[in-house]
Amino acid sequence: MSFDLGLPVNTALLLYVMYCIQRIVWPSASAPKTVPNEFKSSYTWMPKGHPPTLLFKTYTPKTLSPFNGQNGQRILLAIKGIVYDVTAGRNFYGPGGMYANFAGRDASRGMAKQSFEEDMLTPIDQPLDKLEDLTGEEIDNMRGWMDHFSNKYIVCGRLVENDAT
Amino acid sequence: MSLSDYLVTDDLTVILALAAAGLFLLHNLYKPQSLVHPILLGRQSDAARVRHPGESAVFRNYGTGMMGRFPVRPAKEQQVLLDLIRPDQDSPRTLWKTKLTNPELRRRVSALGTGLIKVAGLVPEDSNVLLLLNDGLEFIIADLALASHAIPSFTLTSMSLLSTVLENHPPSAIITEAEFLPQLLELIYDSHESSHHTIIVVGEPAAKYNQGLNQIRVIKFAELERQGAQVEPVASVPTDPLQIFTVSFYQTPTGQLRGAQFTHESITAGVTAIRSLMPSSGPLSSLDTIVSAHSLSSAYGRAVAYTALFEGANFATLSSSKLVGTENGLPLDLADTKSTEVYPIPSTTLLFVTPSHLTALATAINDKARNSSFLSYSLAWRHKLSGVLEGFFTKQSLWDRLVFDGARVEVMGKGAGTVRSVIVSGGAIENQALTPARVALSVPILIVHSHPQVSGPVLATHAFDVQSFPNETASPGTSAADNYAFSYLSAVGAPSINLEAKLIAVDDASIEAGEDPVGRLMVRGPSVGVLLDAESKEGELEKGWFETGEKAKVLPNGTFKVVPLST
Repeated sequence: MSFDLGLPVNTALLLYVMYCIQRIVWPSASAPKTVPNEFKSSYTWMPKGHPPTLLFKTYTPKTLSPFNGQNGQRILLAIKGIVYDVTAGRNFYGPGGMYANFAGRDASRGMAKQSFEEDMLTPIDQPLDKLEDLTGEEIDNMRGWMDHFSNKYIVCGRLVENDAT
Repeated sequence: MSLSDYLVTDDLTVILALAAAGLFLLHNLYKPQSLVHPILLGRQSDAARVRHPGESAVFRNYGTGMMGRFPVRPAKEQQVLLDLIRPDQDSPRTLWKTKLTNPELRRRVSALGTGLIKVAGLVPEDSNVLLLLNDGLEFIIADLALASHAIPSFTLTSMSLLSTVLENHPPSAIITEAEFLPQLLELIYDSHESSHHTIIVVGEPAAKYNQGLNQIRVIKFAELERQGAQVEPVASVPTDPLQIFTVSFYQTPTGQLRGAQFTHESITAGVTAIRSLMPSSGPLSSLDTIVSAHSLSSAYGRAVAYTALFEGANFATLSSSKLVGTENGLPLDLADTKSTEVYPIPSTTLLFVTPSHLTALATAINDKARNSSFLSYSLAWRHKLSGVLEGFFTKQSLWDRLVFDGARVEVMGKGAGTVRSVIVSGGAIENQALTPARVALSVPILIVHSHPQVSGPVLATHAFDVQSFPNETASPGTSAADNYAFSYLSAVGAPSINLEAKLIAVDDASIEAGEDPVGRLMVRGPSVGVLLDAESKEGELEKGWFETGEKAKVLPNGTFKVVPLST
């Protein structure tokens, strides 16, 4: 049996063994100076930013209409004065979707009468649809849709007349 | 020389290679695992998806979630305060000096209630009683008796409020300690109170007061209990959990007197919140001994006491929580933490203390350990610190046995082996003070933010969270006090399970830019008390929001940093 520490391989291995022993007996106890943004880097970490929150805004028919999903905009729609953010339902309400007519508009009449036709929408520059001629059943239907939207999507604003400030 | 000449190996190589492989595995795989995965600490509160202008989003505890309902009672049976003393749990436990079972306690409560109504002449729902007692079994019995007969009780968080309260909200009767009776009588005469007073005295008053004075009747507490036990008990009024049964008077930093009205539901909600502070691996149980530094006259102290009573745990308070009969407050230090050793209670398992107590304990333990042997202390400190930086701590490691246990026994006595968690509230802790405390005690240390208007904790950290953040850089626009708080003080965690919090008066532009919201803290939930004599019930007050008067900031991981009130 020969034991020659002078051999390069043995010296290298010995150095590595000494290094390991040193790290076990005297462990590192230094925290990174800046707090990392990933939990994999360190136990102490902080996410980069807050989860996104939408600001509750007041919209008019004119300011609501750009939000129809085109040009990378969010998709908003209004029922009975409450504005919902339906960007998650881009397949339905985005450009080319089945209900794309409603994007950026007041969809109250359409929700009540269960129709997606153009004649359910009032033009942007006219006063809001008063919905006076709806039957009780249609109003219930509309309220059902409002519940559905409140649960599935985010309430992010309210709709007022064009000239109200 | 060719490469093969360098790579000559012999038997030593084999040995060294095996040793290297073994050490490599040991070093890399034998790392301590964090007690809670850091990914969970990155999202500690659930934020609403929409916020109103000028306000931040509403934050709730991540466990409750934005859609969850707030739990208001530990179990369905606990509707009113007396239900917290479970009649089916009949094993004895020690409360301060007395060992008794739940059925015995309920009997004493019923006897006192009968005595109060029949002998002292109090009328349910009509009379008010001021509780000027130090923490003790008599306080609990009186509180439960008054609550079960729908007689509102008043408590004061500080004796300086006594004259104001007597003036503005004169009570029909006062329950007080025998030592304080002369001063109280003086105070009543000085203010020329024309209404009748009944004073119920705990303890033995001086003989000259036994017959009362003029219109003031003096009755002994023990006498009331005795007489109440002898006659037919008065049935307790079936009380509605939403009925206000107590008002806790406190003073804001600006000197304004405020009354926090609590219903039965607020206290049961506070008890639920305190129970949820403990991790599911180590919940509260009847084997615990809870020691609290918070007086029963404050809302949070009351909730802690009732949690102990509900769980069937032993309970005592530190002598610094004495209200009556002390000139200035007693110092919150090491001797104070051992002040419960005079009581015949088992060794402490849970400490609900203030930051001064925690730092006193940590400094004492570290100093004792350092003095015993500097070299082994440095080694032990190094190892424990590296564990804490990985998120791991334990009381059973080699270093504890070698170095820290001895120091802990010297400082805490029998508590060294039994204390299993420390819950700190009632002040601000600096970031730098936390790591020494974590190493010295090696038990879960929770930081809780409490408020006199809220019966449970307002904000609380995760039990196993030992993240240590460096001091932040000061931001230019904020005031010096805020900068100090946000840079040097530690975060106080996420909202408690039955509370929601939001910040108002925030800068919308900076939040949209992605900065942390900074504003005034408002809370809402079943454990928040209703303000007495609120001037107007409009605006936020109407929707149930209460403004705590403190400035706070929300960090990206959902925890809050609060600037403490300047008292």
